[in-house]
Amino acid sequence: MQLVTANNLGYSINEKRLFHNLTFSLNYGSGLHIKGGNGSGKSTLLRIILGLTSPSKGSVEYCKPNLQVSYLGHKNAIKHYLTPIQNLELIFGSSALQNAMKWMNTLGLNNVQDELTANLSFGQQKKLALIRIFASESDLIVLDEPFVGLDNASRDLLNEFLQKKLASDTSLILTSHIEPNILCSELVLSGDTDD
Amino acid sequence: MILVLIAFPLSIDISQYDLNKFYFSVIVVSLLMISFLATESIFSEDYEDGSLEQIHLEEKDFYKITLAKILVHVFFIGIPMALIGSIFSFANGVSFAEVPKIFVTLSISTLILFNVFAFGSALSINKGSMLGVVASLPLALPAIVLLGRGVRSVQYGQGFFEVSVLMAGVALIVTALMPIIISATLKTHLE
Repeated sequence: MQLVTANNLGYSINEKRLFHNLTFSLNYGSGLHIKGGNGSGKSTLLRIILGLTSPSKGSVEYCKPNLQVSYLGHKNAIKHYLTPIQNLELIFGSSALQNAMKWMNTLGLNNVQDELTANLSFGQQKKLALIRIFASESDLIVLDEPFVGLDNASRDLLNEFLQKKLASDTSLILTSHIEPNILCSELVLSGDTDD
Repeated sequence: MILVLIAFPLSIDISQYDLNKFYFSVIVVSLLMISFLATESIFSEDYEDGSLEQIHLEEKDFYKITLAKILVHVFFIGIPMALIGSIFSFANGVSFAEVPKIFVTLSISTLILFNVFAFGSALSINKGSMLGVVASLPLALPAIVLLGRGVRSVQYGQGFFEVSVLMAGVALIVTALMPIIISATLKTHLE
């Protein structure tokens, strides 16, 4: 069953056409790896799929109106003046907070849980931001360069998590210059492509 | 605001002026500045760190978060400033019996002004605050005129209730509608 369908998507900015006539669909439990060079429109395509950006033409349809989506883009959406625990309290209600705390321990952030997030390294902040994905129940996970800044152990953990999610019928769309170790179809953007 | 209200009488020869007659103008101007400064970065932090995107994914619009932010700003900044302004009015010739009326007038005004300047702040998130000021001032000046009318009604003891009801009505309309406009403005920034 199709979760997301994109029909003849096109996007132009400042008279430069990034992509056009993109048509693809994503089923439940399927993954889509969007690839392409810098400036080819990968992040823009993600934002169009999420509804954050309007396409120049075409449309994106979801199989149900209240689709639960977890998204991690270039910005981490964490507050640097709060500690990791305070950030998690801000993101999650009490019901999901315990699960988030478990992930914080798994990712090795428990020893910095009371430090200001601004004092954490880039990789630690990325791990904290990824907890939003790990601890959320969603139909669709959208990730923009999720492996950047992660150490090898964390990358393996993320790959394993995404593989489990695909197996449990959660769909996945990601962009990554680092090849993910999961089974998914590929969509290549080359700056101005028909595919 | 405290700095302005204390420094102003010290900077003029108060024997030459009846502070009671024009001191309130100083309070109004201070309130205008506070409304602008307090809301200058009301949305910029969430925009910069990506929280606005996450909110949009969950809520699909920004109405609730905008309304909540404005009301929190009014409660924690606007109301205390209205209280300080009322106390300074009393210190400059307004009778004690009239102080609650001044407080009510100033409080309602902060609600209107914070909404107006929050719109300017949303408009100018990544474009410099001058755009926000230019966009907000045409909307703020009628609020200032209304505030002045409210002050005169207290000073002359005529029509305070009618003016207060008018101000409250304007404040409620602005508070209900402005978050819708701000929500649409924030959405365009995400594009």
